[in-house]
Amino acid sequence: MISRLFGAYLVKEGKLTEAQLETVFETMRKVRVKLGLIAVSEKLMTTQQSDEVNRLQAIVDKRFGDIAVEKGYLTEEQVSRLLGLQGNQYLSFVQSIVDNDFMQMDDIESALAAYQNENGFTLTDIESLKSGDSDRIIPLFLPNNITEYQTEHILVCIRTLIRLIDSEVYVGKGFVTDFYEAPYFALQSLDGDNKASMAFSGAGNNILKIADAFAGENFDKVDEDSLDSVAEFINCVNGLFATKVNSSFMIDMLPPEYSTSKTMFSGKILVLPVYVQGLKVDLISSFGDIINK
Amino acid sequence: MSKILIVDDSRTSRKILRGLLEESGHEVVAEAENGQEGVDKYKEFNPDITTLDITMPVMDGLEALSKIKEFDRNAKVIMVTAAGQQNKMVEAIKNGASEFVTKPFEKENILKIIEKM
Repeated sequence: MISRLFGAYLVKEGKLTEAQLETVFETMRKVRVKLGLIAVSEKLMTTQQSDEVNRLQAIVDKRFGDIAVEKGYLTEEQVSRLLGLQGNQYLSFVQSIVDNDFMQMDDIESALAAYQNENGFTLTDIESLKSGDSDRIIPLFLPNNITEYQTEHILVCIRTLIRLIDSEVYVGKGFVTDFYEAPYFALQSLDGDNKASMAFSGAGNNILKIADAFAGENFDKVDEDSLDSVAEFINCVNGLFATKVNSSFMIDMLPPEYSTSKTMFSGKILVLPVYVQGLKVDLISSFGDIINK
Repeated sequence: MSKILIVDDSRTSRKILRGLLEESGHEVVAEAENGQEGVDKYKEFNPDITTLDITMPVMDGLEALSKIKEFDRNAKVIMVTAAGQQNKMVEAIKNGASEFVTKPFEKENILKIIEKM
């Protein structure tokens, strides 16, 4: 995620061109190998075990390594070693820029300091960004005054996007608003001890990136079929969230909804820009109450 | 090969499930998009197996299960839902559901369950 965020900044500041950034990502893709593949090549897991863990990741909100440990396929020490072999994304990003002669190391460091200043990040925040861990990165982009559970709801959504839709998802700065005009939406609300809603909307056809990947189809427009696919994705996210918080409170999932018509949302609404395959969609979340339409 | 009725308000889920089942030689005899329609289609098509989503508008899967069971106590029903609805799953099993599956669908798991029934 840091490579996408910082990469977009470098392009905005004219330090890299779009084409150079794409070359950097291409180089990174060639060298970044999935954990399961490394485990198989290191003969720590069979292909069948790796495939099984990949399938389980679709229905449980856990990382590959955590599931593999739970299933007894890997030890925690082996997961740490494999993660070491997989490498840190930020370092790969920097390495790729330097290897391609697009920027010198000192220039990258200066640009990172400017990026830190512009976004008001602390050194600890920058360390979180460099860690590549979405659970540490996403909270940096959320407003301060949201609850632990709303943060977790959003984290479950981003983790599920990364697992099922696009491993290179990244986010923009989130904000809270009383009104949001949705040109279309897919939404599911949660009832029970804590009411909540989660929705996707945005401009243009960008939301189709989620619809296509989830349904395994190529939708050509934002219509009831494609929004139904996005609503089912949200349904899966909410199911994973409900599993996570089941011991703390009861959640009842209401039927997913969608609309192709312009709709005004009201309430205490959090909007988080999410970039799926580089295209911006709005993740909309409320907690404590459901979104009014 | 089984004759199967799919009851789910999501057309995406119906389509994915139909694809998995037909690919494996099963016949999807009908689809319904809510519990009430599911009950009506059950009576009309008398399927071997019914897959019943839990969270649906008009009539949810739990109520539809009761009505199908009232009509045919030997009905074989697989409950379908996203994760995190364990209490409803338990209620469904108590009310006569044979099995349950979690979304997103995992082909091998679904086929194994259907085979078992």
